Amino acid sequence: MMRILPRMLLQAILLMVLIGTIAFCGVKSMEKEPLAVGVDIAVVVREDNAVTQMAIGFVENMESVSEFCTFRQVSEEEGFSLLGEGEVAALILLPEQLVEGIMNGENPAVEIYFAKQAGLEAMLFKELTDAGAGLLNVAQAEIYGAGDTAAAYGFTDKLSVMEMEIDSYNLAFALDRLALYETEQLSVTGQMSVLQYFAASAAVLFLLLFGMALYPVMQPEPAVFRKQLSREGVGFLWQDFCQWLCGLLSVGLMSILLLPAVRLAKVWMAHSGQETELFRSVQDAKQMTETVVLILLGMVLVSTFIYCLYSLAGSRISGILMLFVVSLMMIYLSGGLVPSVFLPEMMQKIGGRLPTGYLIRAAGSIFVGYRSQTVRDCVSGMCLYTVLLGGLACLCRRRYVR
Amino acid sequence: MLLFSDNLWYYKCMNKMISVQDITSAYGRRPVLKGASFTAERGECIGIVGANGCGKSTLLSILAGTLKPKSGEVRYYGQAAWSGPQMRCSKEVIRKMTGYVPQENPLIPELTVYDNLRLWYPDSGRLKQELEEGFLHLLGVQEFVTKQASKLSGGMKKRVSIGIAMSGMPPVLLMDEPSAALDLICKEDIRNYLEVYLQRKGTVVITTHEESELELCHKLYVMKDGRLQQIDRALRGADLVKMF
Repeated sequence: MMRILPRMLLQAILLMVLIGTIAFCGVKSMEKEPLAVGVDIAVVVREDNAVTQMAIGFVENMESVSEFCTFRQVSEEEGFSLLGEGEVAALILLPEQLVEGIMNGENPAVEIYFAKQAGLEAMLFKELTDAGAGLLNVAQAEIYGAGDTAAAYGFTDKLSVMEMEIDSYNLAFALDRLALYETEQLSVTGQMSVLQYFAASAAVLFLLLFGMALYPVMQPEPAVFRKQLSREGVGFLWQDFCQWLCGLLSVGLMSILLLPAVRLAKVWMAHSGQETELFRSVQDAKQMTETVVLILLGMVLVSTFIYCLYSLAGSRISGILMLFVVSLMMIYLSGGLVPSVFLPEMMQKIGGRLPTGYLIRAAGSIFVGYRSQTVRDCVSGMCLYTVLLGGLACLCRRRYVR
Repeated sequence: MLLFSDNLWYYKCMNKMISVQDITSAYGRRPVLKGASFTAERGECIGIVGANGCGKSTLLSILAGTLKPKSGEVRYYGQAAWSGPQMRCSKEVIRKMTGYVPQENPLIPELTVYDNLRLWYPDSGRLKQELEEGFLHLLGVQEFVTKQASKLSGGMKKRVSIGIAMSGMPPVLLMDEPSAALDLICKEDIRNYLEVYLQRKGTVVITTHEESELELCHKLYVMKDGRLQQIDRALRGADLVKMF
């Protein structure tokens, strides 16, 4: 073992550099290309006059709206057709006498239709319209309040000046302020930052692929060797357990390698002016227990997974190949290479229930600290897979001896 | 040179070293052994010949304790190794009494010869002694002890296998075609070693097709239709093949 260890260590470092580079590229690509969301809106103007066009032009050119939305004036029929085809995220039907209605307090209803599949765009536009309606309400309340006050104190002749003042304040301080909108942060990586997400995925991928360097420890020993050991009083189950334990210790040892790598990454980030928090600070004993349990169970599952694949493959070369292909495939399905929200729904469901899905969530939980329910889900999933994969490995190894 | 463990005092008290009675075995529904029996005494070499697939290796695996027979009895120095209607195995008896050299070599290719031997020799002092002046020296293992097992020739691997089988200093050596596919020098070395082992009153059960090894045998059996039949030990060549 002591002779094999330096070689394994070298392979692990090379693998870490390779996966670290891939993860770094992943983080950089996500940072460089922020998700550009353009919302196409169809507008149906039932009464086409200069005042309505002016109002639409004003709304369209507002800073907060022009950043996301493009308005298209269409007929009602064309609008519904575009909405059905998914060409536009929403359809607005402006009623007749819209501006006049606003001015005289009738407030005719504006109908807004959203496409079923619009998702993020529809959500964004709904946010805009809610905020816009809120602003209009406030503005109307201001104007009516000013009108009533002017009437009560008998200086209605000054009302137009007051309304202009109110309008100018609203235009200057309210309508162009994005900060007034409700904000909801949406991230493809969930609660984790992009850095944390790729760090968690890279750590899991590293440990799985490190299994390729573990073949001297994990590959099934020749049947004749196992039989000789059995003659010496070392039973097959005990042999299996010892080999698995040896793999677990190696995985544990290599996990320690991740710590200096994280330290190095933090130093580099600080040097390049990016101060990003990778780990949450552990607050109490419960969090500490959760973290330790997740780390231990994660290592147990990884070593059992590697052990099982070598058992299924039966030989060194096929074991290494199988481990490489299966690990990459499972990591991909679990959203370790590309965040799972970009994958089809079916793949997301499958990927989340794979061992790698649990491992990535467990690693993420260590970084950001998930709710207890998620931690319990991870723990039960990892325990279940450990038992299943371990049992399968034992059955396979018994078959080779026969 | 020490070949057997001195604490097994009863080696010297009894002559009948191996007693095999009506051993039967089958692979699935296909019967392989249908009542094989023989006995061997101290210092005797038993040769077993027969066509490929006739059950020679199966019999040796049963004697070595790595395969369970369906019925019969195996005793070493009067102590039951396989016995009873449930075919209970006494691993302790088998482990103390026998050394087994299978056809394949029980080596871990990633390790050196020394590390492979260390797996089977808990006492490194004794291993060094055996390499310097013991039977491992006689086999010539010390010449390639630092080599990686995957880089050894077939003959070298076989010598190490014999060294592993002898780690417990057993009084019975079970050898399954030890000279198959080996060069003449290696065959000669193994034969010389067996001669020394027999002179020291060790008992050998060997399956072989090699004439040089057949010459060492005190009794010769042919395995035919799942049974052992004793034949003239002087038979060779075509006369021997006729018996298969």
